[in-house]
Amino acid sequence: MRRNRYRSIEDRSRIDRREFVGALGLCSAAAGGAVLGIPLFGQERPESAKVETNIGDFMRVPKTRYSLPGPFPGVVVKVTDPRSLQAGVFDGKAIAAMVEKGITGLTGKDMKRSFDLFFDKRDIVGLKVNPVGPPLINTRPEVVDAVIEWLVRCGLPRDNIVIWDRFDYMLADAGFTPLRFPGVRIEGLQTMDERGNRWRDKDGRHVSIGNFDTDVYYYAKGVVGKGVRGYKDDEFYLNQHVFNGEYSYFGKLVTRRLTKIINLAAYKNTGSGISMATKNLGYGSLCNTGRLHDPLFFNVCTEVLAAPVIRDKLVLNITDGLRGQYDGGPDKNAQFVYDNHSLYFATDPFALDMMCHRELMAKRREMDRPVNEHPRFTEYLHYAERLGLGVANPDRIELRKVAV
Amino acid sequence: MNFGVLCNLILFAAASQAAPDRDLLPPDGFLQAWNRSEKARVFTSSDLYGHIDGGAEIFLEFGFEQLTVQSYTATKGQPGEIQVEIYRMKDALAAAGIYLASCGRESPDPSFPERHTLNDYQLIFKRNRHYVIVNNMEGDKALRAAMLAFARHIAERLPPEVPIGLDDALPRAGLDRSSIRLIRGPYALQAVYTLGEGDILQLRGRVTAVSGTYRGAQGKYALIVADYPDDALARRAFEHVRKNLDPYLTIVEAGDMNIRFKDHAGGYGEITLQGRRLTIRTPQFR
Repeated sequence: MRRNRYRSIEDRSRIDRREFVGALGLCSAAAGGAVLGIPLFGQERPESAKVETNIGDFMRVPKTRYSLPGPFPGVVVKVTDPRSLQAGVFDGKAIAAMVEKGITGLTGKDMKRSFDLFFDKRDIVGLKVNPVGPPLINTRPEVVDAVIEWLVRCGLPRDNIVIWDRFDYMLADAGFTPLRFPGVRIEGLQTMDERGNRWRDKDGRHVSIGNFDTDVYYYAKGVVGKGVRGYKDDEFYLNQHVFNGEYSYFGKLVTRRLTKIINLAAYKNTGSGISMATKNLGYGSLCNTGRLHDPLFFNVCTEVLAAPVIRDKLVLNITDGLRGQYDGGPDKNAQFVYDNHSLYFATDPFALDMMCHRELMAKRREMDRPVNEHPRFTEYLHYAERLGLGVANPDRIELRKVAV
Repeated sequence: MNFGVLCNLILFAAASQAAPDRDLLPPDGFLQAWNRSEKARVFTSSDLYGHIDGGAEIFLEFGFEQLTVQSYTATKGQPGEIQVEIYRMKDALAAAGIYLASCGRESPDPSFPERHTLNDYQLIFKRNRHYVIVNNMEGDKALRAAMLAFARHIAERLPPEVPIGLDDALPRAGLDRSSIRLIRGPYALQAVYTLGEGDILQLRGRVTAVSGTYRGAQGKYALIVADYPDDALARRAFEHVRKNLDPYLTIVEAGDMNIRFKDHAGGYGEITLQGRRLTIRTPQFR
């Protein structure tokens, strides 16, 4: 096992440079229940395929005051305003008012005090957007505008804000450009050549290899990016995923530069599950993820968020449900897109995803689309609860609805 | 006509009708208003993930051969962008499988004869083994006529439509026709029900099952019907399901030709083998 340097973000003096050697050998699927000894909700859980990961390393790092689930575990605020989207036109002013109501409704404090709860003026704040599926079902720029305006109004320098995603070209496609957001940094963790033949530098290395931190990673034993179904060959896999071994490295932007993260997810499905807050970071903050879909899929959304570089920096989640997509996701499918007029706020991304999952499945029923109720589509959220990262039991989630 | 025999005929017909898909695209100056804004991009089954970020699996499972993507911008300084995506699938059933999974409640335009659905952002249609999307990138209502013209241009250059015989497999009484889906592997099956890991029905991308939702007296449930090439293969699939049933499902009754199971929510379902046909009745939907 290689070296790594997982650490709490806040208490650097005590454990900076501390290195954990060797994985604990915990199985990802069994880690929560087996280690913490907490029973599952409602039923015995069958054994499932086990893949050894380094979740044990993550869990050994002490939490900080900013660690998940944050100051409001199990609380989700839903703000709805029909004026936010009318006849296909988004109303930035109405959306800004929704953002304010959502944040203050979550914290119980005004916007300045809410800022102080999560940030200080020296922070480098990353806004993780979801640019997949433009212009229909990506994170709307108007929501990002409102968040930036809040941060700047409270004293954060504009160039301390970074709008980011994993892929640079997707950011541009979704309208996150320097022209649209002057003074704010816009960064993709990596480039991917859509034509698949111009991604190596003159030395034959992926041009984005230096953007990833090989000291900070998500490990899945025996799961490699070679011969993965759907990729022409390992060359094409490398183009999209930069590395193809047992390690998925986090972006250096996340590990070294950002001190706080606001997660700005879109509101949509992936198959019979959802692709919202936890997937936006679970698959968007590191490389070499194509290998993980088959053996681990949703569990990645839990385990990656357990990594201290996410767990201790992710202070606020806003799911952009101005539009929703209840089938055909995660890419856009206009047949299933609808005006939902809502934004969702939480410090606890797992409670947020559980609430949104239930809402989206209700929408599928309403629209007579198939709903697969199998527990596998929400198990990862319960797993997060067992790890102490959030609340997934719907009976213990408080949904605060705010109508504007 | 027998559903399985029809599948084979469709496969044969598709194999003999291949054509370079760039030839299907409208040329520069189309409608005296649209020019290609870049060179057409072509994706094969090997690099489809380069175009579809999430969701490529279902195309590969049904049988995907080639995707041609071409963007157009309006001339004369007018705003608007139209993008055409032409998916050439392995056969007509594959194209139908993707279409049925994607169309939702159809809202067709009476002037366009192909099976399709249209809204402000997308027109999708299928014909023979092609599945086509015309994207109106800004959702401008004024471009609906142009979207239809793009679709017509492409459809007129495609091989004729062939029937796929869906009605043969599913009982008609109580069937919600808008719910019909095709299944060739685990990704499509998962949208309907989870019976177990992997290719639990042993469809192997070659057998096409069909599913539909029924409204019974007690509520809604789904039927999944798979016709295998022969009795032995159907028996093998039945035994595979029995041995590998999802751990959340409990067998409450098992015979030589029948399995009755209970799911995590206490609902009962049934798997029945009759000759070369396997039928799964899911528990009632909640």
